[in-house]
Amino acid sequence: MIRVLGVSGSPHRHGNTETLLDAFLEGARGAGAEVEKVVLSTLAYAPCRGCNVCHRSGTCIVKDDAVPLLERMAAADVLAIASPIYSMGVTAELKGLIDRAQYRWARQFVTKTLDYSPEHLARHRGVFLATAGSDWPGVFDAAFPVVKALFSGLGFEYAENLVYDEMDRHGGIRGHPAALEEAAAAGRRAVESLSRG
Amino acid sequence: MPITVLGFAGSPRRHGNSETLLDWVLEAMGSEPGVSVEKIVIVDADINPCRGCNACERTGVCVQHDGMIPLYDRILEADCVVLAAPIYCMGLGAQAKAFVDRAQVYRSRKYVLGWPVIPEERKGKRLGLFLCTAGQPWDHVFDAALPSVKCFYHVSGIRDRDMQSLLVNDVDEPGAVVRHPTARSDATALGLAAVATLRERLA
Repeated sequence: MIRVLGVSGSPHRHGNTETLLDAFLEGARGAGAEVEKVVLSTLAYAPCRGCNVCHRSGTCIVKDDAVPLLERMAAADVLAIASPIYSMGVTAELKGLIDRAQYRWARQFVTKTLDYSPEHLARHRGVFLATAGSDWPGVFDAAFPVVKALFSGLGFEYAENLVYDEMDRHGGIRGHPAALEEAAAAGRRAVESLSRG
Repeated sequence: MPITVLGFAGSPRRHGNSETLLDWVLEAMGSEPGVSVEKIVIVDADINPCRGCNACERTGVCVQHDGMIPLYDRILEADCVVLAAPIYCMGLGAQAKAFVDRAQVYRSRKYVLGWPVIPEERKGKRLGLFLCTAGQPWDHVFDAALPSVKCFYHVSGIRDRDMQSLLVNDVDEPGAVVRHPTARSDATALGLAAVATLRERLA
C-alpha cells in the first residue's frame, strides 16, 4: 500500500495551509493510500545548532522529535510538505525541521554513505503545498529552493507545487474557487502514479 | 546624539563565520567617534517563532512574552540595523527566520492599521546591513534568503535601497571566514561607508 505522509508547518491549527493539506490527504486516501498527518506545532524539537558533528558521523546528536520524524518522512512514498508563507519563506517551525535534515545531506555528500538511485527517486514523490495572504508576484519563489533541499535530503523527487496566494482577498482557502479540489486531485494523482508503477 | 547601531547575530554557532563578519562591521563602526554599537545574540535572546495569531493586526503589538518584546522599539530606534546569519538549506537558519517573522508586527502597523512605523523625520535616514555566510560555493546560494531579509527591513522602515549586503560563500567550518581573502576588509569598508552615509543624513 502507498504510504502518504503530510507535514503541516503552520503554527495555526486548521487554518488555510492545514485545510489545503487535508484536502490533498483526503484525495490520496480516496485513491487507496494509507495516510498520516503530522502537525509540527504539536512536536518538540530544537533548530539545528550548526555543530557539524553530522559531517563526521552522519548522525545528529540532538535527541528530540526531529530525527524520528525525518526518518518517518523518508520512509513514506508520497511526502506532502505544507507551509504558509511568512516573510517570503516557509515558517520558522518548518525551517527548523528542514535544517535538522542536514545529517542526511551529510550522509550523501560528506560521509558518502547514502545515495538515492534514479529508481528510488522515481518512486518517492514530494509535493509542496503553500498559502500566502498577499498578492505579491513571486511570493512563493524563495520557499522553493528550501523545500527542494528537504526533498533532496530525504530522497524524494520534487514532483509538484500547489501554491495559492491572495488568501486575504479570497477570505481564506475555502473561499478560493479551485484550491481544495485541485489539492484533492493532486493527492489522488500522486498515489495513482505510484500504484501504476 | 550618537549614531546608534544595533547588530543581531543570527547563527546558532557562537563566534562562527557570520558572527565574525558582524564583529568586524561593528568594530569598524564603533571605532568612529559618536557611534554607539551593540550586539544581540539571537540564540541567547529567547525569541520564539511567530504564532500566526494575527492579533497584531488588531492591536499593533505582539501577544507573546519573550525576548523579542523589548527589541521591537529598539530596532526602530536604531539608525543602523545589522543582521548576520548563515545560510542553512538555501535559506536563513531557522533562528534568524523566527526573528525576521516576528517583524510581522511592523507590517500590521503599517499595512493593516495604517500607523506610522517610524516618525516622519526619520524616514529615509536609516540603514540596514545584511551579513551572510554560506558553506556552499554557489553564487545563487543567497538568493532565497534575500527576499526574507528585504521583507524584514522593509517593514522595519528601512527602504530596499538603504539595505546593503555582504555575502560570503564557501565558508563552512568555524573560522573559515578568517582565512577568506577579502571578507575582513569588505566588512570594515562596509561599516565605515555606512557611518559616513549616516553622518551625512543625520547632519
